[in-house]
Amino acid sequence: MKILMLTWEYPPFIIGGLGMACYGLFKALSELGLIIYMILPTKEKVFFEIDSPFSADYPAAKTWDKKQLTPLPLKFYHFHYLEPEGGYLTIKEGLVRENISYPKREPQFLPTPQEVLKRIDFILSQENSLLAKVRLYTQNVLEITKNLDFNLIHAHDWLTYPAGLFLKNIKRVPLVTHIHATEFDRALGYGHPLIHEIEYLGLNYAEKVIAVSNYTAEIIKEHYFIPEEKITVIHNAFTAFTEKPFKVKKFKEPVVLFLGRLTPQKGPKIFLEIAKKVLEREGRVRFLIAGTGEMERELMLEAASLGIGTHILFTGFLTRKEVEAALSMSDIVVMPSVSEPFGIVALEAMYFGCALIVSKQSGVSEVIESAYKVDFWDVDKMVEIIIDLLQNPDKIEKLQAESKEEVKKFSWKERAERVLQIYQEFLS
Amino acid sequence: MLYIIFYFQVHQPYRIRDFSVFEVGGSNNYFDEQLNRYIINKVAEKCYLPINSLFKELIESSEGRFKVSYSITGTFLEQVKNYRPEVLESFLELAKTGAVEFINETYYHSLASIFDIEEFLEQVEEHFEFIKNEFGFLPTTFRNTELIYFDKLSDFLLNFPHLKTILIEGADHILKGDLPLYPRLSYNHAHLLLLKHYKLSDDIAFRFSNRGWEDYPLTAEKYVQWIKNLRLVEREGKNLYLNLFMDYETFGEHQWKETGIFDFIRKVIELILEEEDLAFLWPSEVRQTLNYTPKVLFVPNPTSWADTERDLSAWLSNPLQWNAMKTCFDFLKRAKQKGKWDLVSPLKRLTTSDHFYYMCIKYFQDGDVHKYFSPYPSPEHAYRYYINILTDIEEKLEEG
Repeated sequence: MKILMLTWEYPPFIIGGLGMACYGLFKALSELGLIIYMILPTKEKVFFEIDSPFSADYPAAKTWDKKQLTPLPLKFYHFHYLEPEGGYLTIKEGLVRENISYPKREPQFLPTPQEVLKRIDFILSQENSLLAKVRLYTQNVLEITKNLDFNLIHAHDWLTYPAGLFLKNIKRVPLVTHIHATEFDRALGYGHPLIHEIEYLGLNYAEKVIAVSNYTAEIIKEHYFIPEEKITVIHNAFTAFTEKPFKVKKFKEPVVLFLGRLTPQKGPKIFLEIAKKVLEREGRVRFLIAGTGEMERELMLEAASLGIGTHILFTGFLTRKEVEAALSMSDIVVMPSVSEPFGIVALEAMYFGCALIVSKQSGVSEVIESAYKVDFWDVDKMVEIIIDLLQNPDKIEKLQAESKEEVKKFSWKERAERVLQIYQEFLS
Repeated sequence: MLYIIFYFQVHQPYRIRDFSVFEVGGSNNYFDEQLNRYIINKVAEKCYLPINSLFKELIESSEGRFKVSYSITGTFLEQVKNYRPEVLESFLELAKTGAVEFINETYYHSLASIFDIEEFLEQVEEHFEFIKNEFGFLPTTFRNTELIYFDKLSDFLLNFPHLKTILIEGADHILKGDLPLYPRLSYNHAHLLLLKHYKLSDDIAFRFSNRGWEDYPLTAEKYVQWIKNLRLVEREGKNLYLNLFMDYETFGEHQWKETGIFDFIRKVIELILEEEDLAFLWPSEVRQTLNYTPKVLFVPNPTSWADTERDLSAWLSNPLQWNAMKTCFDFLKRAKQKGKWDLVSPLKRLTTSDHFYYMCIKYFQDGDVHKYFSPYPSPEHAYRYYINILTDIEEKLEEG
């Protein structure tokens, strides 16, 4: 079975969790005997072939005629998020204006209607640098796949949906769209109307939708009117390169870690609020803010203005290796995301034996037991938990041991088997 | 008579390394030796060596009528000794001509005068001893880091009775319409204040090669004519003092050799030497030549020579800078109390004002001079590395 994977991220080119999720899933699928062609937003017209765990680690770049490229550094488009523009236009309004009818709900292969393709073409020709990149990617995909045969298209997140919708018509193969994050999560509010529209169309005109959590499934049911029977929830697993996780005592004081992009979605400001309140009561703690993002300066200025010297530290951009180093030196990890489709970081934290506090507004909270689950806005509660853990070494050790044990049940292999089942429904 | 007083600031900081949080608890190798070595060597070739030899030649050919004064920081001379000893040699050569005055300042080019008076006095003393030992010179003139001055500073300096003169910025907001050509007295009448003529100083230091400037290109004839015109304001025969204060790196570093800066300054000096009622002077000689009683100058708030604001905002305008500097001086105090001398030394190097200059976000968006001088990609990087280093020091402070 040959699958065409369309994704915007793959290690080492990682911006968020998407890259690591794709890596884990593709590697496990290749172990099940699948052949994966992957197309990334490269400037070169190439695809990557993954047919073994080894090639998942080191995917080989090939040109459209399947000639392997000699190793050369691939240039990726610079990625950034779109700012919400103007007023919020509901999807319905947008569609009504363009006379696009709602799709029929049928289980098997259905070509994308011409008016939908016309609409997408119109969206991608807007003057917007990100949409222009998506357009370029879409054209790239169509060109590269000319001589390529595959049984199914699996597209990850909205940036690749236009390519999937066009390609399924040309190749007459089913499209599975995977939703790792919605525009509602990223924008924490209305978001960009055109991105909403692409998400809406991509999810509705795919044969099948995979959501990374019930939390995300609810969002797309409610806002994008995706019928329940079309959605399968497959939670993420995680990958760690450190085989035997260990703890390093870097500081004399306990360490509380935030790990993620510094964007409103991940709640770094909430973390800072927590840090401030904990430090007022318990001076001997270090708070570590790991990651970069558009809020870095704002957070730094605020942290510095608290005048607590070296108790709030910033790491800047971290490589994968450094991410694991950060986890192994932390005692408590807080994930105060405001809206988190999944949150692989939580599983990684458990793997490294960190006590974990996650927001209830996250997909991962559906599948883990040994963690505190708190509403993201409940700063005082999180402060209480942290102080309680710091004052009770037994309690924190117990929690750390439990989470380390629990996380063992998560594997990409099991996830990949369920994805394979979905493929087989179409291809049998 | 119109006297011309040249004072040049000679300074290089110990730039810090990209010290990551994962290195905490490791070695205390905080400074970027490679980068510092590279910069010292680069600036030595472009600036220090050629300009020193030019000045030496002019001193000798004018038989000492051309005079200059220097303020040389400890962090500069330490690095020069390590990375390019011939620069020290060339300063010693200059000193031997007898036409050079050395000025006293804080050894580490720090803002200790704002944060920690004890440390300030210590650093001034350290620098005094250092100049005495290196150059055999006993300074009687003082300049504070970046020409920072406020009334209280004059009080602090009463601890050093040999210091008689202080160099300060001739900022409009303290002169209130008076001219910087007349020396002033500190509010407590203890020190003579020499005020930088920022217009004519910055014409050389900043505007010389600016093609957008209306007076571009600046010729030596034009410049000397401006100087001569200054005499027109004085009708009672009072001596005037034109204080031209600037970074030494102006010659060859900030203004490249290709701009003609070396030929320009040579010509300016030669033309001045030809004039009968123009003469070069040391800051310390102003007292002897003064033929009137100077007026008192009140400076309640700190002024400096930096940026258009001429205040402390280049180093202390945002929380990053405040937190970093406050924490550094706190730790320094703790390290001294605990007798951890191995930590005192790096902490003192961390008091250098440049570290905080790199954290300035005042103009960073416009990519102006702060960016030009910063070795880091952004103020956030500068802050992060600095705080990580302080964290490492804090961990070591708590040991034992």
